[in-house]
Amino acid sequence: MSFLVRQIALKASGDEIVRAKRVDGDEMKIGRDGACGLHLPDLAVDPEHALVTQLDETHIEIESLHGQPFEVDGQSVQRKELDVTLGSELKFGSHRIKLGQDARSRFPTFTVRREAPLSHSNSDPDTNEAYTLKGLVPGKRMSAWAFAAMVLLAFLAWPIWSYASYSDLALKKDAARPAGYHGDKAWESGKLSLAHQGLENDCQSCHVEPFVAVRDNACQTCHTKVHDHIKDTARLVAARGEPGGFASFTRAVATTFNKPAGRCVECHTEHEGAGDMAPTAQKFCTDCHAEMKSRLPDTKLPDAADFGTSHPQLRPTVIADTTDAAKPKLRQIVWSQDAKEFNGLKFTHAQHLSTVNGVAQMVRRRPNEFPDQEGLDCENCHQTDASGVWFKPVVMEESCQTCHSLTFDKIGGTFRTLRHGEPEMVVADLRGFFAAGAPTRPINLDSMSRRVPGDRAAAETAGDYARAVRFYPTQAGQAIQMLFNKGGACFDCHNITRTGTAATAGYNVQNVVQTQRYYHKGWFTHAKHTKYECVDCHVKAQNTNDATDLLVPGLDGKGGCRDCHVGGTGAKLASASVKQPVESQCAMCHDYHLDDKAPWMTRLPASRRASYDRRRNAGAGQNASK
Amino acid sequence: MATLPHTPDKGDFETAATTKSSTSTRTPKTAPRVRRDKVTSHDSFLNYGNGRWWKIAIVIAVVSFATYFLIDVEPRHNGGSWYGYTMGTIGFALILWLTLLGVRKRAMTPGRWSLKAWTSAHVYLGLSLIVIGTLHTGFQLGWNVHTLAWALMMLVILSGLFGIYVYATLPKALSANRYDEDGAITEKVMIEQMKQLDRQIHDAAQPLDPEAATIVERSLGENVFAGSFWQRARNSYPGDLTRIAMGELRKLRNFRPRTDDDPFERVETLLSKKEALLAKLRRHLQLKSWLQAWLYIHVPATFALIAALSAHVFSVFFYW
Repeated sequence: MSFLVRQIALKASGDEIVRAKRVDGDEMKIGRDGACGLHLPDLAVDPEHALVTQLDETHIEIESLHGQPFEVDGQSVQRKELDVTLGSELKFGSHRIKLGQDARSRFPTFTVRREAPLSHSNSDPDTNEAYTLKGLVPGKRMSAWAFAAMVLLAFLAWPIWSYASYSDLALKKDAARPAGYHGDKAWESGKLSLAHQGLENDCQSCHVEPFVAVRDNACQTCHTKVHDHIKDTARLVAARGEPGGFASFTRAVATTFNKPAGRCVECHTEHEGAGDMAPTAQKFCTDCHAEMKSRLPDTKLPDAADFGTSHPQLRPTVIADTTDAAKPKLRQIVWSQDAKEFNGLKFTHAQHLSTVNGVAQMVRRRPNEFPDQEGLDCENCHQTDASGVWFKPVVMEESCQTCHSLTFDKIGGTFRTLRHGEPEMVVADLRGFFAAGAPTRPINLDSMSRRVPGDRAAAETAGDYARAVRFYPTQAGQAIQMLFNKGGACFDCHNITRTGTAATAGYNVQNVVQTQRYYHKGWFTHAKHTKYECVDCHVKAQNTNDATDLLVPGLDGKGGCRDCHVGGTGAKLASASVKQPVESQCAMCHDYHLDDKAPWMTRLPASRRASYDRRRNAGAGQNASK
Repeated sequence: MATLPHTPDKGDFETAATTKSSTSTRTPKTAPRVRRDKVTSHDSFLNYGNGRWWKIAIVIAVVSFATYFLIDVEPRHNGGSWYGYTMGTIGFALILWLTLLGVRKRAMTPGRWSLKAWTSAHVYLGLSLIVIGTLHTGFQLGWNVHTLAWALMMLVILSGLFGIYVYATLPKALSANRYDEDGAITEKVMIEQMKQLDRQIHDAAQPLDPEAATIVERSLGENVFAGSFWQRARNSYPGDLTRIAMGELRKLRNFRPRTDDDPFERVETLLSKKEALLAKLRRHLQLKSWLQAWLYIHVPATFALIAALSAHVFSVFFYW
């Protein structure tokens, strides 16, 4: 018997080359050794791997020689009996052997093919790719898409979703999103200032509508009491005038991108980091106010620029009518040297401040009450209020009555006094006094008579009543008449008319209203002017006895503001003589958001003032470099 | 290297290596000078056009800094001032243009708008973007999408800078590695040599006993391109099968009697040859991995940057 062995090799072109040989005998070895009948040049095959034995015409047996297995039809075996007519597939190392029967000779045939290349390099690796990083790192295209998608999801889709979920909370004062991280926080360009810290989690509280720049109504959800600089934003913008040059370009761009001018956030910038809110930008007041008439012809405000040279005359608010004491009629006048105001009280300032007349003498006689005083001082009557900014109203009982006594009777050691401020009571008391049949003698109520101040004077007055009894009328009507007419105690200080009712015997005392603040649009504080004498500014107090003379100083003249205050850069009028110039910018007296308090600039606590000044000055330095 | 000025318009001969513009049709009027000293006209993209683009980049940086410090922005510089918007717009446009190199590089053309000119501009304008982008931020950085865009931009630029560094230094090493006594070999030749060697090893190993044959077989079966990215980049392949095969074969041989025509010795010699070739191949792979790796950051980071930039711009207008 014999075996037929067909070795198939591949040419470079892919064609097959078949080399056939016949191995005679009943046995044939399969192995790497060249002496083997079926020679397999394969390092995975033993030199003598297996023995093929012919059992009969159609059956062979294959058995491993050294315990190395081989595969038959995919099964790893050591020994196998096979029917050649049925055919079979053997595998030794990288070689596949097809078993069959030669049709003509009926010999078993072994068709041998090498399946795998003899080495990796011979498997013809794709050198175009093998030398690159392909397969070793994620592909550029793939990771580019992946990263881009991740970024868009996390930083675009999520924030929009966050906004959309809570946009209905906008413009509601105390509505807050639940605590925790919200997607649109990733859009926050910088922390909010400490003042707005509470809104840190609520983007929608200011960013009300998408693609609409923050509007004032968002601010006003909480800031309900801020005084607008001017109600009508359109006029505000008009007052600024048409921007020129580069500013008109930036304005045009801002308009194109839906950023209108004149919004709160234009000055009050946010997201500049936790801490004090950034100081508002130095928008110069004079940018609008210097020539505002030309841009807003119907404005009632006079143009104003540098305080030293071109500030309009001050306009004090004076009393026009005191009929309603609680709400007197006021009017604004332009200050002048001879401006008048009558508040209902006759008072001779010059006489009271004199150091050489009877008033001064009375003061000197009472060293316990007026130690080391040559005459009356302003503060004997005028006292500042708790803030030190303004003065408390002068109270008759505290300030005047010490000299101007209203005592009319003495019973035992007790003095009876007319009730100040209640003319009905005065009239009733006097009528009662005479009606009671009590001393029917006239009373000396001439408060203008000289006398020693104090209780002793009051006693003397009472004594005078007694002495004068035979010279004066003994009727209440007469006493009342004297009281309310020239020479009488009421008349001396008050403006008396005959418009009263029967209760006051037809007399009427005009209400007295004391003005506490003359300048409402600008800020003045007495507290910052304590090193000066009152009369340094209230010059007329020393030399006028006309109560209607307006004593509050104005812009110019002796005692006027410009005696010390010069413009922001030291400018002053040629006519002004300034000894100690105080450079004064608008913000020293004026506030953009006008209220009853001191300008924001001057009311910062010292601790914050320092930091504010530092940042402002840094800004000023940048201005200078421009 | 001293070079004569090369002026084709005055009649100097042009070669493919010296031409600046292959479309010059002017007839030489003067007798052509013969250039003998010219070794190469290679002008790196880093110095294209006599350094035109790095000069422009420096001007851009200087102007940006000057305007940054001269222009007063209240209360402080930030991306939302007019200056910030200007820088941002310039930066955004620049980034898109720089990205277009990926499109442009697929078409090579000579001349003023040659790929080399583009690449040169790409490199230097890209570097000037550090100044433009950073001044756009006003140095206000935080944990947000805006700073993410800036950080990605810096990542792209720095990876690009690294790319330039390796492009400037590694090709020399790459050539040196490819040269041997017979001259330079190409990547294809390298693999052909490997094939050849493997076949020789295979043939030489035929007489070996099963144990030794298995060892050799493992070396042959080894994928010469195997290894992770880090192994390639560090050129460190612990447990390399060829190396192990050599060791084990030597161990086996130590216990065998010496014979004249010892197949072990032949196999071992061939294996050590293969090891040397493998070392060369792997050094080549290492250098190439460094030359390519930066792009795997540069390109994906660019697209992440464009995404972040879009989100950044969108967010600014959304929360306007």
